Formats: sequence, structure tokens, C-alpha cells
Amino acid sequence: MKAAGAAFLLAALCTAPAAAEDAPGRRNFVACPIVRDTASVPCWLAEHDGELYFLTLQTDVSAPVTPPWLGHRVLVEGTAAPDRPRICGGIVLEPVVLSVLPELDAACNTPVLPAEDRYNLTFEPPRPPGPSAGRLAFAGAAAPPPPAEPPRTFALRYDFDGLVVFRHAGELTAILDAAKARGARSVAITGHRGSVLLSNGTTLVERPAIARRRAEQVAELLRGAGLTNVEYGVRWSDEAEAADGDDAALRRVTVELDR
Amino acid sequence: MLAASALCLASAAAAGEWWAPGDGRPLPGEASYANATGALGILNTAGTIDTRGHPFFEPLGANGRACVTCHQPADAMALSVATVRERWEASSGQDPLFNAFDGRNCPHLPAGDPAAHSLLLTRGLIRVALPWPPLAADGAPLPVELTLEVVRDPTGCNTHPTHGLTSPRPTVSVYRRPRPAANTKYLTHSNFGVGPFIAKSGLPAVRDPDTGLPTSMNMMADARVTTLKAQAADAARTHLGMPNGLPAAALERIVGFEQQIYAAQARDLTAGDLTSGPPGFGPRNLAAAPAGVLGNNTTRWVFPLGDAWQQPQAGTDAESEGRAAIARGHDVFMFRTFFIRDSMHLNSVGLGNPVKRTCSTCHGMHMTGMDVANGWMDIGTTNLPWAREAPLNPWTTEAAQLPLFKVTCNADVPPHPFLGRVIYTQDPGRALVSGKCNDVGAIVMQQFRGLAARAPYFSNGSAATLRELVDFYDRRYSIGYSEQEKRDLVAFLGVL
Repeated sequence: MKAAGAAFLLAALCTAPAAAEDAPGRRNFVACPIVRDTASVPCWLAEHDGELYFLTLQTDVSAPVTPPWLGHRVLVEGTAAPDRPRICGGIVLEPVVLSVLPELDAACNTPVLPAEDRYNLTFEPPRPPGPSAGRLAFAGAAAPPPPAEPPRTFALRYDFDGLVVFRHAGELTAILDAAKARGARSVAITGHRGSVLLSNGTTLVERPAIARRRAEQVAELLRGAGLTNVEYGVRWSDEAEAADGDDAALRRVTVELDR
Repeated sequence: MLAASALCLASAAAAGEWWAPGDGRPLPGEASYANATGALGILNTAGTIDTRGHPFFEPLGANGRACVTCHQPADAMALSVATVRERWEASSGQDPLFNAFDGRNCPHLPAGDPAAHSLLLTRGLIRVALPWPPLAADGAPLPVELTLEVVRDPTGCNTHPTHGLTSPRPTVSVYRRPRPAANTKYLTHSNFGVGPFIAKSGLPAVRDPDTGLPTSMNMMADARVTTLKAQAADAARTHLGMPNGLPAAALERIVGFEQQIYAAQARDLTAGDLTSGPPGFGPRNLAAAPAGVLGNNTTRWVFPLGDAWQQPQAGTDAESEGRAAIARGHDVFMFRTFFIRDSMHLNSVGLGNPVKRTCSTCHGMHMTGMDVANGWMDIGTTNLPWAREAPLNPWTTEAAQLPLFKVTCNADVPPHPFLGRVIYTQDPGRALVSGKCNDVGAIVMQQFRGLAARAPYFSNGSAATLRELVDFYDRRYSIGYSEQEKRDLVAFLGVL
């Protein structure tokens, strides 16, 4: 790990397992997403190793899993849920983490598959395709009780090779609010670079400078939002952390107030 | 409610609606102005005001213009191209509106030549000159993620040695429509979606320098300023030719005036009075409704119709059919789904690409159809391949009117999610302010009110009519509207 130019050593990658599927039901793969329309909202699917998997439904910005993009490949990190009935013909992956890969891929510009009766949803989707029902689709989920005092540590998760996006706005606001509420004097920010063990045994590693860019961006954004009267410690790890198939959490920035 | 007698008076006075700077007429608390499909209503919640000496109405700079020059009450506090043409004819091109700085395609072009003002005369476009790269408050260049080349320059401004991109003060000229200086509480709200970080990107929101609070960043085509005060100050320095700006007291009066003016269509030639029926219509309802709340399909439609027009109406058959068409058009706007694809700052913000939604997905703010916050989005009005372009072939007589820029995103940043690393655009939009690749061609969406009074539409005036606007969306998103749906949607938009 480097701290503003200081060298920092990270343990070398451990010997990786043969493939992510060593974990029961684990499915990690890269594919073009598939969109299938239904009588209500479309399904998002992907093929892997001759099987069709259900990734997610179209919902809204409050969803814990948001759909990928046609025109881009998607990194799928999921676990097959064999007890769940198929949705839109696909085996349900749950939990699942989806990362849109940044570069365009013309091979993924596929048409939307038309709705077919056999693939229509057998349940009410969290949100209809048109206007909302007056609330965000996942706003009704039970929120944990507020902590007795503002939290001191935070972890921002990222898409593969990704930086801050729309969903980080709330998390950054929480950091900002906590720093102000605590009267924080210092903010320690540490960027990490991830890797992913795919089901075919290969390992995807994020681009080399991503950990630094992530850490510096978070500091820049907090400063830009007015958190200027604190001492920033910005560190990063250029070494990709070892992948074992359950790797989405490796792509992160940790933030610690008043370390 | 606007009285019928007032409407008649306004209709009778329709030929003389131009409000010249320094005119001195009082602006009544309620007024209506005839237009092609009915009449626009203007509501001044402060009642009648004396415009003599009022900085919105008086020519304060050297060029003879005032705010009202481009924000005419009869044009929903904006400026229609029909009004521009009338002024050209009435003044033989001498009205201060046609000032060299931004009323011509470029300041170096000859005065009095219609060709030198072609963008203003044909599309109602004002030249907006912006530094490139963008500058910080201290004048230092801001970092940018892209390079900009001029590919086509029909106005000659972007390649001009004094005014262009390679001039001593590198400048980009883009051409944009004036926006309504009315219903402004919806532009500046601090309600849903406004916070310290921009909900669509996670980047810090610009704060109001006076209050220190985050702003909605929902003003102007590129949100380069985000408060009414900053907009007035910016406009004074540029459009009014006042390099030293306006005094604080004048800014305060302008802001106060803009906060009390509401504009909406008040009467439709077919459907009749709009102010006594649906709760989403007319300027009084605009003034009364809360700002910055999101419409939905149950408790709060974007433009509420209520029950009034859902059933056959009493009155003439034509009036009843007009109201039925508007109600059908509302349902097309609100509930007709289609696949929205490759639109930056919509498909990129957690909805997926494509997303099966409706017009009201993007145009979701209750009563105005704006986005609730930081509403810049690229729907293809300025970016190729969707932006309107003159056909290229040996037989065409139509020439391209707008500049074309080639944008190349730097190798060390992610490509634009839907357009890649090389983008051709008539107006880089928000990217001229942010310097970001993924903001190229993203334009802050406009309110939907008073549309009948202020054609043409889109920031570059590329849709001459509401029908052309609907046709653009139909092509852009392969919606496949029926002819009936198109007519109904036009009828609905025309009464907002």
C-alpha cells in the first residue's frame, strides 16, 4: 500500500482455487446481457456454459441490483439458487453482483427479445414499467435502527474497473454527515484494487491504477462537497487482492474518520 | 382563474404584445396573450407591478437590451421565433435583440444582413460563447477529459481568429434557445433529489454561494450557473453587455420578480378554458403546487387532470372532443411505454440500457415535466447520429446551419458509455462546463409549460413545432406511435 508516495507492500496473491464453481452454486462469468420483454417489466438474462441465468428485473434506482447495459459486456458474480423457480426461463442467481464493463462491445448490441406468454412474470414486479406507485421500489425495506452515534468507518463498493457512480451519492452523503456530526479532524481513505476468479478458472484483474484513482476521487469529492477542515490521509494498494470466487467486496474504498 | 374578459382584451391587443426595454407599461397581476392555439396566461403573484425603473424591464447596459428582450410575457417569458421575425421586420433588423455579440451568428458578420442572423431568425437561437477549456472562478483552466475539434463551421465563429477555438482566448460558440424566466421555483427547488452529491453521478453538487446549500443544478442548458441570481449576473455580463455586471440591488429585484411570475397556457381554441378544470393546468395551479416533487401513477400525476376530463364533457362537440384528445394525450405521455436506449444520465443511472418506461420517466417533476434534479441528459438532440442534420447528396438545397464538433475522449478515462471515444456533436452541452466525456451533448431538460407560446423546441430549436418534437422522439426511440397517439400528444403538450 502506498501512502502519498510511500511504498506499501501487499501480500502476494495466494494460490487461487481452480475455479469459482468450487463454491457451491457459484457462477462468475463475463457475457453479453440479454433483455427479454414481458407483459410488464423486462427481464435481464445471460448465458454461461450452455445455461441461461436470470440476473435481475427492471425496477428503479433504489434496487440493490441494477440492470446492465446492452452494448457492453457484464461481469456476473452470483450464486445459483436451485430452489427458486426460473424467471423468464433463466436460473435465478441470488445473490448476484453485476458490473457493466466500461468498453463498448458491438457484439452485445442485441435486439430486445419479445415478450412470450411462457416467460411472463408469475408475480407482481417491485415496480411497474411506467410511473411509480408513489414510492421507490425498495424504499419499504426495513431500515436498520439508527446507530447511537454516527458511524466512524465506511466501505464503498465498486463495479469492476469502476469509479464513483450514481449509487455512491447516498454513501458519500452518509460519510459527509457523519464527519460533520462527529466533528471529525481526520479522514483516512484507502483504495483497493480487486480481482475476480471466474468459473472457468481464469482471473480478471482490475486496471493497475484503479486503487489510487478511487481513493483520490473519494477525497476529491468529499473536499468538493465542503469537507475541507479535516486532515486527509489518502492511501491505496496497487496490488490486486487475491480472488477466491467471492470477490465483489474486494473492489472497495474504505473510509475511516478520526482513525 | 383568468377572467374571460381579460382573455378578450389580450386577444384584441395581440398585435402589440412586444415588450420593448424601457416600455414603462405596468405588468398586471394577471394577463393573457393570444397565440396560435389559444392564449397563454401570466400570473404575477405580487399583483400589478410598475415596470418603470425595474431592472428586468429597463435597458441597463449599453446595448439597449433588458432581460425582457429575450423573456417576453407573451412568449411564456421566453422568446418565440415568430416574435424574433416580427421584430426583424418591424425594426428592419435594428432592434437591440439583433446585437452583434450574440444576436448574430458571430460578431464579425455584417450588420443588417439576414444571413448574419440566420440562426436567430430561423431557429430563435442566441449565440452562447464559452471558454474552452472551462475556467475556474480564478480564471485558471479546469482539467478536461476530452479534446475538441471544429469539423464544420457554417457561422465562421468557431474558426474565427478573434472569436474561435484557436483565438487568443479560446472560445466555443454554441447556439441555444432562451428559456422561460417563469415558474422558477421548480428550477431552483431544494426538494427531492437535491443533496450534497449529485444523484446521477455522485459528484459534488454546486452550492449556492449565498446560502451554502446544494442547488438542484437544473437551470440553463448546461447548468453553468445554478441560481437565479447567478443567472441574472451571467446574463448581464454577456447578453446585456455589462462587463461589470449588475449592482446587488438590481439582481435582488430581478430574482424577486422571477420568483413571482408563472406562465402556462390558459385557453385552448378547441378545448376552451384551461384554468377551471384539470388541477395541472393554468398558471394559478402552477403557483399553488409544491415544487421539486416527483410525479407518480397514483397520488400525483406529473400533470394532474383530475376526473374533470376523463368523461365526455358538457358543451360543444368540438370542445368535448378537444378535451378528450388532451386526456388521451396525457395518457400517452404518462403511461405509453417504450424502450429508452443509449441516453446518457438516464440509462446510466441504475435503470439499465434499455429501460422500458414512459415520457414521464425523464419528465417526472410534478407540474413542469422537468427532471427533479440536475436534469442534464443526452437524448440525441445535439449528438450524432440522432441530431437533425441537412441531408448530404448532390441534389439537396438545404445547408447545415449549426457547427459540428469532433470530441475525442482521453485514453485514460472510460469511454462515453453509449457513444465511445469519438463523438460528433453540434453542441457539447454540459461537457463544456464539466469537461467530462460522459457529459458530451447532455442538455438540461426544460420545463413543459407555455409550449404553445414559444416555438421552436429543444435547446437548438431543431423542432419547429410540437409535432416535430413528437416525431423526433418517435424516431429516436423507435416508439412506433400511431397517428392518433401523435396528434393526442401534441394536443396535450399544447395546453400545458
